[in-house]
Amino acid sequence: MTKPKRFLSIQQKSSLIGICFILPALSALLLLVLYPMLNGFYLSFFNTNLVNRNTFVGLRYYGEMLTKPDFYQTIFTTIKFTLLVVVGHFMVGGLFAGLLNKPFPGRTLYRVILVLPWVIPEVSVGLIWKWIFNPVYGLVNSYLLKFRLLKEPKAWLSDPKTAFAIVVFIAIWKGFPMIMLMITAGLQTLSSDVMEAAIIDGSSRIQLLRYIVIPSLKPVLLSSLILDTLWWFKHFTLVYMMTQGGPENATNIVSIDIYKTAFEYFKYGQAAAMSAIVFIICFVISQLQRRALSEKTS
Amino acid sequence: MKRRARITMTVRYIILTIASILVLFPILWMISTSLKDTPEVMSGGVNWIPKKLTFDAYKRIFTDYPFFSYYKSSILITFCTVSVGVLFAIFAGYGATRFQFKGKGAFLSFLLVTQMFPSIMTLIPFYKLLKILGLSNSYKGIILVYISHTIPFCSWMMKGYFESIPTSLDESAMIDGGKRLQILFQIVAPLALPGIASTAIYSFIQTWNEFMFASILLNSEKLKTLPVGIGQMNGFYRIQYNDMMAACFVASVPILIIYILLQRYFISSLVAGAVKE
Repeated sequence: MTKPKRFLSIQQKSSLIGICFILPALSALLLLVLYPMLNGFYLSFFNTNLVNRNTFVGLRYYGEMLTKPDFYQTIFTTIKFTLLVVVGHFMVGGLFAGLLNKPFPGRTLYRVILVLPWVIPEVSVGLIWKWIFNPVYGLVNSYLLKFRLLKEPKAWLSDPKTAFAIVVFIAIWKGFPMIMLMITAGLQTLSSDVMEAAIIDGSSRIQLLRYIVIPSLKPVLLSSLILDTLWWFKHFTLVYMMTQGGPENATNIVSIDIYKTAFEYFKYGQAAAMSAIVFIICFVISQLQRRALSEKTS
Repeated sequence: MKRRARITMTVRYIILTIASILVLFPILWMISTSLKDTPEVMSGGVNWIPKKLTFDAYKRIFTDYPFFSYYKSSILITFCTVSVGVLFAIFAGYGATRFQFKGKGAFLSFLLVTQMFPSIMTLIPFYKLLKILGLSNSYKGIILVYISHTIPFCSWMMKGYFESIPTSLDESAMIDGGKRLQILFQIVAPLALPGIASTAIYSFIQTWNEFMFASILLNSEKLKTLPVGIGQMNGFYRIQYNDMMAACFVASVPILIIYILLQRYFISSLVAGAVKE
């Protein structure tokens, strides 16, 4: 018997097997993410209703958007919303990750409770809070009236200022557990020897945080910062449930604007162009964050 | 020193208890409202314990509204998405940690880039694509969409977890003559069970809770999922808040049970590397 001829070296064979393993995920992503993405860009050059009207308009929608103040207003609201929400997540999430880091009686119970907002469906969360802030029968007004902190019922979600603040608060309420879990995970990989050595050397708590904890958490912080920013920049459901972008566009973040443009006004081309701009903004943000954070600590 | 430790501990408990109250009160208010009758709900007030305890709202959401059908859709869609998505993620994670090949780096950064994409941008093309494929308004169509949503982060999580399992295990099994798939399913996957469990929880939560795509891509009442059904109640002219809160609670129950049963895996596997860069 002769040895079968080798077509591929062992190394080539191994890399081929590797590609086979990622192939299912890769092909799903190419077909179901990359193709729709590119198609989205393509659609942004057309005036289309997706059925029979399909006129090429080139860069017109991009031009229109960049000259209209409405779109800048939407982007500004979205940036403000994302910034406040992400800062909130890291402050609240970081605080509780720190408090729950060392074992103590009741730790698991507290952790289970604090993760609940992340588990409950966004639709439910939005509607529960909408009910709590209901102008006539809501819990907040009932309490405020009962303790005479308010003379007459207030329509919280109909006032642009309070509506925005409430939406931000609820987005923080809903999203901080994910950051808490990620920071917790990062904290548990810290070596306790280094920490103890630093304490013996007389470092203060602040110094410990500044020079040991934060630098060693950097990879965790960086990836969760980028993901959290991207997730909330393009957030939709919670805000849509509570205010639908109103009052007076005070909570009109960009995903809601795109949704309405496409599925209420049926301007698919414009909506696709808006999405493309959002993609570019998200890309820039993540690059900036990556650069800023890697320079600061290196 | 001892006294100081006691003070820190007390402060810790106080902060955590306040936070727990802030987290729990909306959830408890939802349950409380769902157990009241309509006149009591519509009289406002701050009654936490219903004057007349009733399960009528729960009965109504299954008789007056098609919540059985919403439930069925949600379970079916979530089950299919999680099983396929997690399986693909296991393969991808295994492939990316055990082999060297060209384009691996590109694949891994592509996973992250997809997270950058405003999902709403793919909503319009998907709407079109599913129409062309004849899958619009079908379970298959929405499952495809959800699989594409869960794969990137799940693959990332699985890759992180597989990195924590030494490759020497694979190598010794190879010497014993094991095939790659056998090694993956008989040796590596059992060790990665906590990681697989938490990846499954993650994709379960994502899929079960998704609203935007389902609301556009599923039109017929028979196919709609729980979030879409509840979202619709929000659009009614007169909102019945006790019914709505009952619906919100019913939609949260399965996910709460799964989370509480599996929560200990979740953190341990995040520790193992899902958050590493």
